Amino acid sequence: MPMSLLLIIQLAVGATILRVLLIILGSILIGWFLAYASIKSPIFENIYIPVISSLESVPVITFFPVVLVIFVTRIGGAMGSELASDFLILTAVAWNIWIAQYQAFKTVPKELQEVAINHELGFFSKMRRLYMPFSIPKIAANLFPSFADGLFYITVSEVFSIGTKTFSVFGIGSIIPALLASGDIYYMWVAMLTLAIWVALFTFFFRYIARFSVAKYGLDTAAPIRRGGKVNIMHTYQAWNTLTGPMKKLSKHFTSPFRALPTKGSFGRKWMALSSSKKYITIGTFLLVFIMLLAKIGLYVVSVPLSYWRYLVSYTPVIIYGMAFDYVRVVIIAFISLVIAIFVGYYLAVHQRAAVTVFPVIQIVSAFPAPVYFPLVFAATFGYMYAVFPMSSEIYVLLLGFISTFYYVFYSFWMGVQTVPSEFWEIMENHELGFFTRMRRIILPATFPYLIAGLSSTIDSAWGGLMIGEYWPDIIKGKTLEVQVGLMKMLDVFTYQGKIGPAAWASLLFAIVVTIFSLFFTKKLMTMAREKYVIEEGVYAA
Amino acid sequence: MSIGVILSAVDISYKFPSGKQVFTDINISTGENEFVSIVGPSGIGKSTILRTLGYLIPPTSGKVFLMGEEVKKPSSRISLIHQSIATFPWMTAIDNVKLALIGKGLSQNEMNDIARNTLETVGLKGAEGLYPKEMSGGMRQRVAIARALAGSPVVLLMDEPFVHLDELTAEGLRQEIYDILFNPLTTLKSVVLVSHNLDEVLELSDRVFVMNGSPAKIVDELIIEMPRPRSSRDSRFSTYLDKIYASLTPTR
Ligand SMILES: Nc1ncnc2c1ncn2[C@@H]1O[C@H](COP(=O)(O)OP(=O)(O)OP(=O)(O)O)[C@@H](O)[C@H]1O
Ligand SMILES: [Mg+2]
Repeated sequence: MPMSLLLIIQLAVGATILRVLLIILGSILIGWFLAYASIKSPIFENIYIPVISSLESVPVITFFPVVLVIFVTRIGGAMGSELASDFLILTAVAWNIWIAQYQAFKTVPKELQEVAINHELGFFSKMRRLYMPFSIPKIAANLFPSFADGLFYITVSEVFSIGTKTFSVFGIGSIIPALLASGDIYYMWVAMLTLAIWVALFTFFFRYIARFSVAKYGLDTAAPIRRGGKVNIMHTYQAWNTLTGPMKKLSKHFTSPFRALPTKGSFGRKWMALSSSKKYITIGTFLLVFIMLLAKIGLYVVSVPLSYWRYLVSYTPVIIYGMAFDYVRVVIIAFISLVIAIFVGYYLAVHQRAAVTVFPVIQIVSAFPAPVYFPLVFAATFGYMYAVFPMSSEIYVLLLGFISTFYYVFYSFWMGVQTVPSEFWEIMENHELGFFTRMRRIILPATFPYLIAGLSSTIDSAWGGLMIGEYWPDIIKGKTLEVQVGLMKMLDVFTYQGKIGPAAWASLLFAIVVTIFSLFFTKKLMTMAREKYVIEEGVYAA
Repeated sequence: MSIGVILSAVDISYKFPSGKQVFTDINISTGENEFVSIVGPSGIGKSTILRTLGYLIPPTSGKVFLMGEEVKKPSSRISLIHQSIATFPWMTAIDNVKLALIGKGLSQNEMNDIARNTLETVGLKGAEGLYPKEMSGGMRQRVAIARALAGSPVVLLMDEPFVHLDELTAEGLRQEIYDILFNPLTTLKSVVLVSHNLDEVLELSDRVFVMNGSPAKIVDELIIEMPRPRSSRDSRFSTYLDKIYASLTPTR
């Protein structure tokens, strides 16, 4: 029996990691075709890019309950559960890779495209010899974040309950909670350790791939900037080179959604360039899709009795109230992450020797799914915590949100710091600027676009953390972690109680608010960042 | 010409972490109110030398002294103007210049006055509110020069500062910088210029160091003795030019 349990644990870790990897691989394959389609057809591009960039900034996890029901009721069985789980992972890993592929395809140099045309390469040779290789550095730079993101949800995607029914798929995300619940502490540790080892191995593997692919496939374009590092006060050049050399190059390939969004100007220009027949086709397609959507929603709406609508609408005030609470939590989490990311990031940028060890540790810790070990943190501390602060549930939820999200701000800030040219560092040294002056006048403005991009994905994953933390039945035996008020808790509770209608209604309202927020806040900030804080113009090469 | 020694580098060498030894055992010194130039083939290590003189990268061996005191960290007393123009895109011209005045215990008004005056010196009166992207390359370079001057340096290190300017503006600015150097009211006591433009070097310098070889060394040192204002029609001008060419060409 123990032997077989050990084996099961190994297999389960394998299954979980394989599931995430295969879905990443699948996303990459699909993404190539989508990217190709979008550079060939402006119509497709104008639909595809806004859609994936909004999906990237919307916390898809909050729609999971609704999606689950569709998979479980329409398909059902082991297949339904597996597909539901896969779908959740897909929504966590796909968008940033797809954006990266699109950006890569968009930036294939004209000269190379002309060579391809010149030699009359067909679609597959063009893809294989030009577009795919060219997109590899960007994809590689996004492998690690996708991997970490995909793993994060394993405890909720591999086992979930709707009403009284529990569905699960084979994987370590469903086994660890079971081991914890049954008190098999020894095997639980074995399982955690196994997962940790694999996560560490893959983290290093992805780092290696990222470096290798940048070295092999990266074009050193004669960009009019010098991407320097910083003044090496510490004589740690070697470390600097091995770690940040590739990082610096990598930062060019780092995907931030704000770079993907077509600018207003460019859309306008593209639109003007279209012939009038193409314009009509575009408008026609939009209208057709729109009418079809309306018809579909209309049919659905008509099929729901009016009394049921009244019932749903009656939930609206509590939903809004819960949402307000959650926004406050998200703001707190984002703020704390930002502050820590900036201080740690700056420290590491100035202390390269520390960066060499600290950076991979941060990566491994952040790739290890927090919901897997969080119950242990809870078990070890809750007695003390609740005795001292009666409001400790809030602290735990904020902590989980922070753990699940910190890495993204940190990584973005770090990437931003890499783009600060060595001349700027030298000027800071030369004029003996103090820490706060450096921050306020140079580092923060220079990294602003990166911070905004990071913050938008942070906010996104903070919602995921809240979704898991706000209502966590049996986090440890006989204890439920729950907050008083919160939209995410509401969604969890509705799902748990099998009230799918109200869950869907809450998701819908939330989606509307998130979209408005993204349109009026995030996008505005990104546009501003793009206009004013373009560091690429800071150094005019001699 | 030199009364006291201002900046001196004693046996400095620099080796990149990649292992490339750029230069070894360089000795350079500048006197009070002295204008010194360094010339040498492209890629020889001139920019690297300037950085070590300002301690922006510490020399791998050897020492740098500023008025007899060993330099151990970068300071605004030795100010570098980069070869590639570095201005902060999110700051206006005046804010870029004021950066050099932060932390010096000045009031906002004083900072504004100094910054405005320095911008006027480099011929940017009226451009105070412009952002770098609204300026030409030459204007940006003058902002960078103004920033270096505003910090009241004792030594100014200039790496090809005039290449982005048209000849007329460059000539005016050369004169300005030269006048600032000799103006008893300013703190500036020496200038070290790196330039490919030998006419410019001969027009300005009291002393010229020629770098060559791999790893680079100082292969020649010339004292330029011509009355100012200098003219390229001066017969000594071409004699000096020939001398510099002679030590520049053979790469040993
Ligand atoms: N980070 C680096 N690592 C290794 N070698 C470098 C690095 N930066 C510069 N070098 C090398 O050091 C040498 C000196 O460079 P430097 O920029 O000082 O030359 P320079 O004399 O200023 O050239 P130019 O006249 O073209 O400006 C060059 O051969 C260059 O290839
Ligand atoms: Mg140079």
